[in-house]
Amino acid sequence: MKLLPHWVSRPLLIAFVVALAVLAVVPGVLGLSVYSRNQVTETFVFVAAALAWNWMGGYLGQVSFGHSAMFGVGGFVSAQLLLALHLPFPLAWIGGGLLAAAYALVWGHPTLRLRGPYFSIATIGVGEATRLVMTYWEDLTGGSSGLSLPITAGLKSELYYWGLALMGLVVAASYTLRKSTFGLGLLAIKSDVDAAADVGISPTLMQDIVLLLSGFTVGVCGAFYASYQSFIEPGDMFGFDRSISFVLMTVIGGVGTILGPALGAVIFVMLRQYLIASYPQLYLGIYGLLLIVVILFEPLGIVGLFFRLARRFGLLKPEVEAKMEAKAAVGGAAADAGARTGSP
Amino acid sequence: MARFTELVVAAILLAGLYATMAYGLGLIYGVLRVVNLAHGGIIMVGAYVGWVLHQRLGVDPYLSIPVVVALSFVFGIAMYRGLVRHLPRGAAGGVQSLLLLFGVWLVLRNAAYLLFTGNDQTIRTEYSTRSIGAFGLALSVNRVAVFGIAIVTLVVLHLFLTRTFTGKAIRAVAQNADSCTLVGVDVERIYSLTFGIGTALAGLAGVLGATLFSFNPSYGSGDLLKAFVIVVLGGLGSVMGTAVASLILALVEVFAILALPAYLTGAVGFVILVLVLVFRPGGLFGQRVLG
Amino acid sequence: MSVILRAEKLSKRFGGLKAVDSVDLELNKGEILGVIGPNGAGKTTLFSMIAGSIPPTSGRVVLEDRVISGGSPRKAVHAGVVRTHQIVRPFQNLTVLENVMVGAIYGKGRPMRARERALEVMDFCQLRERASQLPGGLTLAGRKRLELARALATEPRVLLLDEVIAGVNPAEALQMADLIRSVREKRGLSIILIEHVMPAVMRLSDRVIVLDAGKKIAEGMPKQVVKDPRVVAAYLGESASAHAAEPGIATAPTPASGSGPASHPTPPSNPTPTSTGPIRKDPK
Repeated sequence: MKLLPHWVSRPLLIAFVVALAVLAVVPGVLGLSVYSRNQVTETFVFVAAALAWNWMGGYLGQVSFGHSAMFGVGGFVSAQLLLALHLPFPLAWIGGGLLAAAYALVWGHPTLRLRGPYFSIATIGVGEATRLVMTYWEDLTGGSSGLSLPITAGLKSELYYWGLALMGLVVAASYTLRKSTFGLGLLAIKSDVDAAADVGISPTLMQDIVLLLSGFTVGVCGAFYASYQSFIEPGDMFGFDRSISFVLMTVIGGVGTILGPALGAVIFVMLRQYLIASYPQLYLGIYGLLLIVVILFEPLGIVGLFFRLARRFGLLKPEVEAKMEAKAAVGGAAADAGARTGSP
Repeated sequence: MARFTELVVAAILLAGLYATMAYGLGLIYGVLRVVNLAHGGIIMVGAYVGWVLHQRLGVDPYLSIPVVVALSFVFGIAMYRGLVRHLPRGAAGGVQSLLLLFGVWLVLRNAAYLLFTGNDQTIRTEYSTRSIGAFGLALSVNRVAVFGIAIVTLVVLHLFLTRTFTGKAIRAVAQNADSCTLVGVDVERIYSLTFGIGTALAGLAGVLGATLFSFNPSYGSGDLLKAFVIVVLGGLGSVMGTAVASLILALVEVFAILALPAYLTGAVGFVILVLVLVFRPGGLFGQRVLG
Repeated sequence: MSVILRAEKLSKRFGGLKAVDSVDLELNKGEILGVIGPNGAGKTTLFSMIAGSIPPTSGRVVLEDRVISGGSPRKAVHAGVVRTHQIVRPFQNLTVLENVMVGAIYGKGRPMRARERALEVMDFCQLRERASQLPGGLTLAGRKRLELARALATEPRVLLLDEVIAGVNPAEALQMADLIRSVREKRGLSIILIEHVMPAVMRLSDRVIVLDAGKKIAEGMPKQVVKDPRVVAAYLGESASAHAAEPGIATAPTPASGSGPASHPTPPSNPTPTSTGPIRKDPK
C-alpha cells in the first residue's frame, strides 16, 4: 500500500524521524545540563531560520543581507501579542510570522526584480533602514530599552520541545519544497530567469510565494527567540550582525542544501559558545575567514566537503555529485558549467 | 536665506568626499563587474591608518595621504591577486565575489576591533576647529581642505583615464575585455591595477573622512551604500556623472536633516538606495550602469 | 488554409533605433514559415515580440482570435506560442529530463503526469538516453535538441525556432531538419523558423519572408524569394543584384556546401539588448 508520495525517499524519512525521536528524549535520558539544553534549543531556532533563509538564498538564488528585518518584526509583534493579549505561544508566534511575511512582501516584491548582487545590496539597505526605524518606534519595540516578557517556571524546558517541533516542521517543509514542482521552478529561475519565463514560469509570482514563506518562517523564528530570551531589543533583533548570521550559517554549512544550514547553525552556536569564554570579539572575524575559505575552495561549504570525501571513498558517484552540486550552487558550479559550454 | 546658502555650501563640500568614495567603487565595478563589498572596510582602514600616524608619529592627516593611498593601493592589488582573481568572471561570479569580499570586510572589521577597540576615534589637529570666511560664511578648514583634495584627485583621475595609455586601456577593458586580449592588452594586469586604484581611492576617502567625522570599526558601511547609490545614479566611468550624483545625494542628506527627526537621517541613504535600484537602475543619465 | 497566427504592423523601437518596422506576418495552420535576412535585420526581435518576451512599441500579435502581444512570455506560452533561443539557454543546474519537465509543468500550468509527458517528448527528440545528464555534458546539437524538447513540452500550437540548425555539423543539421519536419507532421504544429543555413530554409519552408533593417522586403515561395533582386541586394550589396539571374547563386545543392547567400555561420548579432541588466524583462 502506497502511503507516501513517490518523491519521498524512505531512508531519509526514517532517518529524519529517528533523529527527531532521539532529540526528543535526549534531555531526559542523557540528563543534559540546563545550559546545554538551552544551547540546543537555540540551535533549533537557528537551524530553522537558516533553512528559511536558504529558500531564498539557495533555492531561488537571491542572497538577502536583510533577513533580520523579518526576524525582528516577528519577535516584537509576537512579544506584543503575548504581553497585551496573553495569547498562547503558537498563536502569538504565528501572528508575528504573518506580519513578518507581509513586511517581506512589501519590500521584497519590487526589489526582487533586481538580479544577484544588486538585490543583495538593496537588502542591506532595507535591513538597516528597518533597524533604524524600529529602534525609534518605541511603542512597538520599547526603543533601546527593549521589551521584556514574563518568565514562567519551566518555560525554557517547554521551549525545547517547541523548538524541536519548529525545526522539524521547517526541515520537512524544506524537503517538500525542494522535491516539488514548485521547487523545480525555483531552480529554473535561479539558473536563468528569462529562459524560465520563456517556458511559461511566472517569476514574480513564484518569488512572491518564496518571500512570503521565508518571511513567515523567519518571523516565527524571531517570535520563538523572543519567548526564549524573554528580553529582546531592536539593535540585536534587527541588527546587521543578525542578518549576517543567517548568511554565514547557510553559506559555510552549504547553501542550497538542507544539511548545510543545519550544520552551519550547529557550528555557529558551538563556535560562539567557545569564543565567548576566551575571545568574545573574534567570532565575526573567524566567520569572515571561513567565508573566504569556503568561497574560494569549496563553494558548497561543509556539505560540499562531505560530497568530495564521499566521492573519494566511492560512496557517491561523480555524476550524482555533479547533479547535487549543480542544484545547490548559487552561481558557483552551475555557472562554471555554463561558462565551459559557452552559454551566457 | 543665509541658512539656505550655508546648507548648499555644506552639501557641495560634502559631495567632494562622496565623489571620491564612490568613484573607487564604480571603477572596480565598471572594469571587473565586481561589487567590492569590502569597500567600506577599506575606507575604515584608511581612517585608522591616518589616525595611527597622527597619534603615534604626529603626522598631519593631510600629509599622511600619500602613505595611506600607497598602502591601500598595495592592499587592493593583494586582494585582487590573492582572492578575487580566483572567482569566475561576470554574472556567474557576482554573488560569490560579493560574499568573498564581504568576508574580507568582516575580517577587517574584527582586526580593527582587536587592535583599536570599538570606541569612537577622531583625528583632532590644532586647526580642526578653525574656519575660513568665504561667501559670507564660516567654513570649516577641514571641510574645505577635503573638498579641495577631492577635486584635485578626481581631476587627476580623469586625466589619467583619458590621456594616458594605461588609463585608456582600463576604459577599454571595461567595455570589452575579450577584444582587449586580442589586441595585446594584459587584461589581468589591468584588473589588478584597477582594483588597486579603487581601493586607493577608498583609503583616501577614509583618511579624508576621518578628519571630518568620528569613526570606529563599523565605519564605512553607510558609506558603502552611499557610494553605491552614487555609482548607480551617476553612471560608470563618468566623472561628471559621479560629481552630479554625489552632489544630489549630499543635498538630499543635508536638507533631510532639516525635515526629518535625527534618527531617521541615517535611513535616508538606505531609502534612496532602494528607491534608486528599484525605479531608476539606469541612472539619471539613462546609462545602463548595472550591465 | 486557415491563419493561426498573425502579426499586424509590429514595430519595436529601442531609443532611436527602429529594430522592427511595421512588419506584417501571417502563419497558416500546419505551415512552416521561414524568416531570413542579413544580420541585424530584426529577426530575433520579431520573435521576441511574438513570444511575449518584449512588448511591441506598436502593432499586435493575434493567435487565432486572441491578442497575445504586450503581455508576459507566460501569457504567450499558456496561449500556445513558445520560442527557442538563438544561443541555447538550458537550465544548467537541472538534468535534461528536469529541463524538459519544467516545460511540461509550467507550459500550461499542468503538473499532472509531467514526467511521462517529458519522457515522450524526449523520445521524439532522441534525447532519452541523456535523461539524467546535465546540459553541460551534451554536444551543441544535443543542447539544441534539448531546447526544442523543452519548448515542445509546453504543448504549443505555434513554435518559433531561432537558428536551431546553425552551428552544428552537416550530419546533425540533416537530423535537425528531419526533426523539424516531423514536428510539423506528427505533432501538427505550425512553425516559424529563423535560419541562416540557406539550404535548410529552402527545403523546410513552405513560404519565406525576408527582413532587412527591420522591414519586410519580400515574401513568397522560397525559390522565388531567393531570386528577388531586392533580397540579393540586401545580402550581397547592390552590385550583386545584377548577377541574381546567374545559376549557382540561388540554388542550394547540398546541405554541406556553403554556397547559398549568407550560409556561412555568421556570429549572431544581438540587436536586442540581452539580459545583462539588473532588471529582468518582466513586461507586466
